[in-house]
Amino acid sequence: MAALLVGLRLRQLGRSLTRSRWHVVGLIFGVLGAFWVLGLVGVGAVGLRVGAPQLVPLVLVLVTSVAVLGWAVGAILTSADESLAPERFALLPVRAGRLLPGLALAQLLGVGGISTALSLALLLIAWSASIPALVAAVVMLPVTLLTCVLGARVVSGALARTLASRRSRDLTAVVLMLLLISSGLVLNLGVQAVATSSSVQAVLETVSAVLAWTPLGATAGVPAAVATGDWLAAGIRLVVALGTVAMLWWAWGAQLAARLVSPVQASGGGSVHSGGIVDRLLPATPVGAIAARGVRFQRRDPRHLLNAIATLVLPLILVGTQLVSGGLDARFATFLPLVMALMVLQIAQLSLAYDKDALALHVLSGVSGRADRAGRLLGAGIVILPMIVLASVLVAAFTGGWALLPAGLGAALGAALVAAGTGSAVGAFLPGRAPAPEDGPFGRGSSGGAQSLVALAIMAPVAIVASAPAVALAILGVVWMPWLGWLALPVGLGIGALAVWLGIRIGGDRLDRAWPEVLAAVSSDD
Amino acid sequence: MTAPVLSLRSLHKRFGQKVAVGDLSLDVPAGSMLGLLGPNGAGKTTTLSMATGLLRPDAGTTTVLGVDVWADPAAAKARMGVLPDGVRMFDRLTGAELLRYTGLLRGMAEADVTSRAGELLAALGLAEASTTLVVDYSAGMRKKIGLACALIHAPRLLVLDEPFEAVDPVSGEAIRSILRGFVASGGTVVLSSHVMELVESLCDRVAIVAEGRILADGTLDEVRAGSSLQQRFLQLVGVHELGEGTLAWLRSS
Repeated sequence: MAALLVGLRLRQLGRSLTRSRWHVVGLIFGVLGAFWVLGLVGVGAVGLRVGAPQLVPLVLVLVTSVAVLGWAVGAILTSADESLAPERFALLPVRAGRLLPGLALAQLLGVGGISTALSLALLLIAWSASIPALVAAVVMLPVTLLTCVLGARVVSGALARTLASRRSRDLTAVVLMLLLISSGLVLNLGVQAVATSSSVQAVLETVSAVLAWTPLGATAGVPAAVATGDWLAAGIRLVVALGTVAMLWWAWGAQLAARLVSPVQASGGGSVHSGGIVDRLLPATPVGAIAARGVRFQRRDPRHLLNAIATLVLPLILVGTQLVSGGLDARFATFLPLVMALMVLQIAQLSLAYDKDALALHVLSGVSGRADRAGRLLGAGIVILPMIVLASVLVAAFTGGWALLPAGLGAALGAALVAAGTGSAVGAFLPGRAPAPEDGPFGRGSSGGAQSLVALAIMAPVAIVASAPAVALAILGVVWMPWLGWLALPVGLGIGALAVWLGIRIGGDRLDRAWPEVLAAVSSDD
Repeated sequence: MTAPVLSLRSLHKRFGQKVAVGDLSLDVPAGSMLGLLGPNGAGKTTTLSMATGLLRPDAGTTTVLGVDVWADPAAAKARMGVLPDGVRMFDRLTGAELLRYTGLLRGMAEADVTSRAGELLAALGLAEASTTLVVDYSAGMRKKIGLACALIHAPRLLVLDEPFEAVDPVSGEAIRSILRGFVASGGTVVLSSHVMELVESLCDRVAIVAEGRILADGTLDEVRAGSSLQQRFLQLVGVHELGEGTLAWLRSS
């Protein structure tokens, strides 16, 4: 049974590579990343062994804990991968106990599993200072690996029930993405906190000493205790480590058994409040209807919601990082909302791709291309333009640079409008790729694929040149004569309006000529 | 015979090496209900996509009520209502919102959209589900809301790909009576199906497609030629005969 499951897993991986070139590219990047990590681990292990052998137990307990935790977090991020979901075996006459070993092995077969195993093997170099510790570490290696795999399985199994309802699935996706976006900031804060505390080593020693007794770090805690000759501690930690694996094995088996007889089924989100105010405020025309749908999707479709949130959060994170790493220059901060134009560019270009083949409705109902372009821009603008104004005002409030606000607003609004126009025009020729709505925001192609890179190479120079006058006036207003900043506002809005008008015409006329081709391009799944 | 409502003239379409539709011509007269039959992979959906402006043919023309679909798409599309098969919908809208969206996209007045949407939802048994997102609908409910979207602008031609698939018997009967009334008032319907009995009881014309070509086309009685539609279909398409010993182990003694 185990051999059968491992073979199935290998075949699935092989098929996914032959089906699309992009999977091969993804695998190559994964392997390169793994080599990079392995190199770091190897160099680190040798360095520790030679340079600071007394730190080996401290560091390895921390590294092992991070690895176990990393597998659990990784399980949350990749919970969409259902290729070996227990439900798939529900119709077969097999017991959970017979499936477990094979499924566990199959989980190890992947870039993540193999590189974890190799990393643990490389870490043995660091233990080689003491022969008893090395022996203990060799014995604990498979236990560590099992803890990683089983922990990940139990976490993702526990999540599967929660994620079965569409509403919580959407919510989880948004929360996780937010965490990911802001993780840089959090990391920065953490490093600052540790660095400023009186003794870094003392803090790490306390953390490591505690972790060595917990399920996270116990597998490294055993050789750590052996190295110092503390056999009692080693024995207790061994019990903790083995007990953890036993508990996880049992919990996973129980989950598996439960899912084989009562499969997790995706359920919906119940009834929805329609919010007729959107319909009343927008005209009852094709343009108004498309804009109203755009506004609704910003709230209801996690992919659109994430884009909207990222647009708002991006400049604020930059402000935050600047503040943390000491001091924020008001003159520089004024231009931070400019980065929002980059998101606008992507949103405008990819808006057709996000619809996937639902776009057929626009083709069938004979909507004019210009109405499509204008409606989408109006819908996105209703949500994003206030965000840009808000971000500019917030930056001014943080830095007290109220005098610079008109310049900042002119640059940011001008650039965003130019980006919207450019994106609408280019998006009709190169719509890009987007994850399907049911795949969730971590699905493949979430950044638009290779086509989007080509589109970006075309759009970026155009957008930069077109928004240059307003940005240049704003910069001059900040560093030279403030009244020039006031001039940046009308210039930015004027050029922006022209860009939007052109984008709607160019993109719309292209759509009228090539609706079926665009539909085929965005419907394709590979 | 009056001028055909839908006229396909020597349509060609190939995907890579495979010819999906080759030299297909078909006329659908006004006031008729045509059942398009064919085995899996026969090119039915490809043909209907080319007829409705979703897929550009390699060669050939499509005219709807005298308007060329590929020369004046907007005018042609205004005259027909389409239920495509296997295509996503804007499923983060509720049923009522999706209907309103479709109506407004077609340039209808808001008052008409609102009153017709209410009637359609009630007629198809979707009134209770009108505030649920379409993504949470069952397969049959999706078919029904798709049908409502095809009907809302009161087109003169309906092109329906598998309209009865996964639909329960009660709603199925409602759809039948809607379609019969539509045809009785002079409307024209083209629908594809795999259920012979349904086509026999509902349609007055039949066209059989296989491997991208029309094998038979005419009134129901002309195509049936005395036998049942099922037998005639098997004769034309070719039966896959099972030998005596096939799956012998499956027969319990």
